[in-house]
Amino acid sequence: MNSAMNKPGKTDENSVISIRNLRKSFGDLHVLQGIDLDVKQGENIAVLGRSGTGKSVLIKIIVGLLKPDSGSVVVLGQDVEQLSAKEMDTFRQKVGFSFQSSALYDSMSIRENLEFPLVRNVRNLSRADVDKAVEKALDDVGLSQTINQMPSELSGGQRKRIGIARTLILNPEIMLYDEPTSGLDPITSIEINNLINEVRERINATSIIITHDLTCAKTTSDRVAMLLDGKFERVGTFDDVFADPDERVKQFYNYNFVN
Amino acid sequence: MFLALADVFAFISRFFRELFLPPYEFKEIIRQCYEVGFRSLLLISTTGFITGMVFTNQSRPSLAEFGATSWLPSLIAIAIVRALGPLVTALIAAGKVGSSIGAEIGSMNVTEQIDAMEVSGTNPFKFLVVSRVLATSITIPILTMYTIFVALIGGFLNVNMTEQTSFTSYIQEVFGAISYVDIFASSLKSIVFGFTIGMVGCYKGYNSSKGTEGVGKAANAAVVTSMFLVFIEELLSLQIVSSFR
Amino acid sequence: MSTDSTKRNITVGVFVLLGIIIFIAGIFVLGGQQKRFTKSIKIIAVFNDVGGLKAGNNVWFSGVKIGTVKRISFYGTAQVEVDMNIEESSQQFIRKDANATISSDGLIGNKIVVITGGTTSHPEVEDGDRLKTVAALSSDQILETLQENNNNLLRVTKDFKELVGNLRKGKGTVGAVLTDSIVADNFKRAMRNLERASDNTVNLTGSVSKFASRLNTPGSLANQLVTDTTVFRSLKRSATRFESAMTSADQSINTLSRTAENVNKASEKLNNTNSPLGVLLTDGETANKLRTTINNLSTGTELLNEDLKAAQNNFLLRGFFKKKAKAEEKARADSLKAVQQQLPDSTASKP
Ligand SMILES: Nc1ncnc2c1ncn2[C@@H]1O[C@H](COP(=O)(O)OP(=O)(O)OP(=O)(O)O)[C@@H](O)[C@H]1O
Ligand SMILES: [Mg+2]
Repeated sequence: MNSAMNKPGKTDENSVISIRNLRKSFGDLHVLQGIDLDVKQGENIAVLGRSGTGKSVLIKIIVGLLKPDSGSVVVLGQDVEQLSAKEMDTFRQKVGFSFQSSALYDSMSIRENLEFPLVRNVRNLSRADVDKAVEKALDDVGLSQTINQMPSELSGGQRKRIGIARTLILNPEIMLYDEPTSGLDPITSIEINNLINEVRERINATSIIITHDLTCAKTTSDRVAMLLDGKFERVGTFDDVFADPDERVKQFYNYNFVN
Repeated sequence: MFLALADVFAFISRFFRELFLPPYEFKEIIRQCYEVGFRSLLLISTTGFITGMVFTNQSRPSLAEFGATSWLPSLIAIAIVRALGPLVTALIAAGKVGSSIGAEIGSMNVTEQIDAMEVSGTNPFKFLVVSRVLATSITIPILTMYTIFVALIGGFLNVNMTEQTSFTSYIQEVFGAISYVDIFASSLKSIVFGFTIGMVGCYKGYNSSKGTEGVGKAANAAVVTSMFLVFIEELLSLQIVSSFR
Repeated sequence: MSTDSTKRNITVGVFVLLGIIIFIAGIFVLGGQQKRFTKSIKIIAVFNDVGGLKAGNNVWFSGVKIGTVKRISFYGTAQVEVDMNIEESSQQFIRKDANATISSDGLIGNKIVVITGGTTSHPEVEDGDRLKTVAALSSDQILETLQENNNNLLRVTKDFKELVGNLRKGKGTVGAVLTDSIVADNFKRAMRNLERASDNTVNLTGSVSKFASRLNTPGSLANQLVTDTTVFRSLKRSATRFESAMTSADQSINTLSRTAENVNKASEKLNNTNSPLGVLLTDGETANKLRTTINNLSTGTELLNEDLKAAQNNFLLRGFFKKKAKAEEKARADSLKAVQQQLPDSTASKP
């Protein structure tokens, strides 16, 4: 909150996520070159952009997995860079991160995967409470039957959904989805889209959804942000952004529907 | 090169820092002890047994030339307790455990499981690295004890079949040949071996390049590097122990 | 799931526990073996030469291990002080007048300190006592003596061969041969050599019999090794060889002393200017004596040669002989042959 106040006129007080002039390079590769973004409470925003433009890097910076070179990232009123290890742990409980590759723990069963964030973050939970929470989370994504299976026995779509369920089990205030529908068939994709919308309704989460899938962007988001050359060149509603005559934007739209 | 060395040094010092900082991942340490230690027991015991038998058998002719096959038990004891036991255990463990640690952590790195752990409020270094390095440092010395034990039994069976040496006289010969220095040096050495194997596996996995070929490289590098280091350490221990003897 | 992890915990517990038990059992067996946990007293002995003794080597008394060498350090200018830990339980058997010797538990075995002697009239040793030391004949020295001894005999044989050769060739008259001072000198030299060989053999016999008896002392490590398994047969064989070496050495001593006697008599007669030289050589008794002397001498040499050969075939002594014997062997065989060929001739040349 304080750090947000330090820059009056720059940050929006209603924003849950507020990013100013964020820069990040890996050696000579300048991935993010001045990102500005505000996401309001309860808003879903879709981030579009070609592969390798730094979408994943952006949300990893938001959750503190990567350190920015410069600029400020204020999430839930806290400057992410200034958090101590302990504050970071509490902060991350409020932010759910669904990984591009699902990131299920291969050596653990589905049950162990789901209870992992619970038992690690919430002290003094009874066995029954944990079991109940796990069953509910699995039920929400419609995969109750997989509880005793190992991640390697599941399909890609199932793994994605389990990944989302694992993120949701802590009832986060913010959800970060990294390509939730990539590599899935259209029907499963729609199921995932529905799941994202359900989540939004149920826990009233603020979400950033990274996607290449325009259907997904259209059905789940209030606004769309287009990442081009390390900056959000276009931010607005889906229709506004794609009404843009800019070749780079149009290309993105066309390819999506040609392919 | 120096950058890599500084990196390794930072990794090791991070291990010792996190080793003493709570929370302690006891459950995970025990799980890893099970995976690293118990799961390798059969393989390592079998290898130890065969080593004992074969080594005894192969040493016989050169002793027989001097009519000194009576010294077989002492020779076996010294060779197994001082060198073969720790070394065979470490090499098998480097192959089996080192590669699996390298591959497992490497693939966790590639598939963002390490990141996932971190956002789940868990220190992945502590959960993955500290527990594994501790597990190898604890179980590899214990596996070495088993190896020495079964190798000596293997040696006994061979000596008993060929020279009809009685168990009592075998034990007397064996323990007459070795000293406390030998036993403690071997234990210490195998702790260092265990630490090395765990550390190298974790380091290579943790710093694997992204992509599936990174996993394979990490596993391969873990085995090659830790085997190489084990031999270097064996050489160093020779120098150190001989100054005590 | 929780039963799984309990099972795992138990497995790990048992696994670790068993490993630790093996470790501790090893320590205890080793402790029992080395008697590290029994009380001990310290005694000291100062040697001129410890022959490679090291800390940790065993200390024996009557063939029983009673302690270990604790420390070896220089003492004075060139002597060596050996500190030994002796089990308290054997303290009562060791008297203050006991001797300490450096020995080994086999010809190529580990060095040991052997405590011998001591009489009950003296009190038992106490902590910190210093024992008298006796320099022992090392196995190297035994072999050295054996070799030297043989060389002496070889020289004797040569001398006689020369003598006999001269006799046979009949260099001038028989009388001339015997008055010839060179021949007389040769004869005297042969006699001296004979005496020396005889002395050496007595020494040697002592050493060999000591070594052989040690091999046969019940309860000693060497004896255990010998009786333990079939493997040790070769060791045992070498022991018997040494014993036979001893007996034949005894025989050769007898032979040699008899020879020496004969030669003495002969030379007495030579020196006796009163007795005509012709008498000596026509005297059948004397001639016979000379002949038996030469015969005895050659059998004595042969016997010792045989022993040496036996010893050479023994693995323990192989290295030693490889170095030394090669060249000499040939010469010896040649000379022996020569003597044997000449002997019948020499007796036949008797007028
Ligand atoms: N830890 C890292 N170290 C070095 N380079 C990195 C790292 N993370 C990302 N990059 C680089 O940053 C660039 C952006 O990566 P990022 O993963 O953000 O792409 P993306 O927009 O998510 O692409 P995709 O749609 O394929 O997931 C890539 O070129 C990548 O190589
Ligand atoms: Mg990405």
